Amino acid sequence: MRSFLETYGTAVAGLALALFFVAFAPNFAAPTNLLNVLKETSFLAILAIGFTLALITSELDLSVAEVASLAAVVTGALIQAGQSPLLAVAAGLLVAFGAGLFNGIAVTRLKVPSLIATLGTAAIAKGFAFMITQGVAFVGRWPSEFTGIARGSMLGVPHLVIWLALVVGGALFLVKCTRTGVHMTATGEADEAARLAGIATGRMKRLGLALSGLLAGVTAVLLTASLSSAAPNMAGDYFLYAIAAVLLGMTMFEPGRANVPGTLVAALTLKVLGNGLVLMGAAYYVQDIVLGLIIIVSVALSATALKKAAFKL
Amino acid sequence: MAPVLSLRGIEKSYGAVAALKGIDLDIGRGEVLAICGDNGAGKSSLVRIISGAQEPSAGAITLDGKTVSFRSPQDALAKGIATIYQDLALAPRLSIVQNVFMGAELTRPLLPFVHILDKRRMEDLAKGYLGRLSVAVDDMHRPVERLSGGQRQAVAISRALHWDAQVVIMDEPTAALGVKETALVLDLIRKLNAEGRTVVLISHNMADVTAVATRVAILKSGRKVIDRPVAGLDADGLAHMVMTGKES
Repeated sequence: MRSFLETYGTAVAGLALALFFVAFAPNFAAPTNLLNVLKETSFLAILAIGFTLALITSELDLSVAEVASLAAVVTGALIQAGQSPLLAVAAGLLVAFGAGLFNGIAVTRLKVPSLIATLGTAAIAKGFAFMITQGVAFVGRWPSEFTGIARGSMLGVPHLVIWLALVVGGALFLVKCTRTGVHMTATGEADEAARLAGIATGRMKRLGLALSGLLAGVTAVLLTASLSSAAPNMAGDYFLYAIAAVLLGMTMFEPGRANVPGTLVAALTLKVLGNGLVLMGAAYYVQDIVLGLIIIVSVALSATALKKAAFKL
Repeated sequence: MAPVLSLRGIEKSYGAVAALKGIDLDIGRGEVLAICGDNGAGKSSLVRIISGAQEPSAGAITLDGKTVSFRSPQDALAKGIATIYQDLALAPRLSIVQNVFMGAELTRPLLPFVHILDKRRMEDLAKGYLGRLSVAVDDMHRPVERLSGGQRQAVAISRALHWDAQVVIMDEPTAALGVKETALVLDLIRKLNAEGRTVVLISHNMADVTAVATRVAILKSGRKVIDRPVAGLDADGLAHMVMTGKES
């Protein structure tokens, strides 16, 4: 029973929370509302899964939100300038991937702790985002080939949910089914043991951080396409939510370890919580207070990997 | 006994400090060689050189009669020399199977150019390795941190078996183990040796050395001062030799 609670307790609590809102929050169970929650979850979960992949290698990526904002601005600028959506999307993804790789090189080659390196990258990304936009958001009637990436649906399933499924599937496949994924996990679990076993631990850390950047780029493209706009701080609000999703995710399925299913369920739980509180008339600041509590309690419960990543200065 | 590994004139200096001074050592095929010495005698430096973790400042190493140089532990491993480090170099929260195959996971093709982990085969093989060491573990997915010290040694030795290492270096394998677990580890060493593998045992525990080793090399202040068969020695006599550097 104890083992069940350790592994699935948080997920069951999330389910209980959802059932509570079904019973007491007006319109929570309405299909359109649930669909909105799911779409909102997509942005958060994709960003947080990137963070998860970095943390699996025991590295923090505190730049995800700012890198996502920069990638959104780059994509938006090219769309606004009439460039092809393909080019705009590729540029956004490349910038984000490059930022992630830069983090990886700073951590593994320059030996800067990821806590510091990614904070630096966040500041750089923020600066570039404001430089490109001059502080003004790009907004316009953008081509449907671009906005269709995030809007619309296929066989009744929203595109955003399909993207989320692809990212979750890809990340799970990488971590659980491939040698590279196992090497990333071994690197995060026991760096020295992995190195002595012949694993290229530096390369694994660079990969984890680069993938984190890439998924920040995917989030950025989806946000930009969904909103038909790009602003230099547009992903800023996702920062604490992404961290909370990863931390809360570490309290389930593989307790104490960053894991993809945990992050997914945690992201959904956080969005359900936010939506439910709003529908029940809670003041806007209640969400922030609850979010802060979730972060602290999650770390206290089981986030040993995060402690390890944060304090190896 | 033909030496599988020979060291000639091995020297190692750390700045002005000479840790090893002209070590000549032959390690015979299929023997259990114990390397003993007080703290600072040079045991760790010698092991790091044989295992590829460090390169010597001078001297030559020959493996099966051919001169070799190890630039990394992987380099030594590829040539059949595996090292089981004092802290075992295991990932505590990963499973037995993951630890046995760490860095050498088996895969099977899923699609052209796409290979996935062959989890079933790895589990079967890991079970087989532990079985060869007469260690039974019911759940191969149990994290290593939930195993006893002796069982952890068995996992580390299983990794050496997977690599099919001909020379296995064991650095203080019974340190911090209880009596029962120590007996299990000594039994593992005998089984490893019975398979025809050469074992190099680094130990402070003279009772362990006399229990399993066939030969002992004693280092003192970076020099090899004694190299003799263990037969006829008891733990006290050996301890005296380590302290004085002289045969009693």
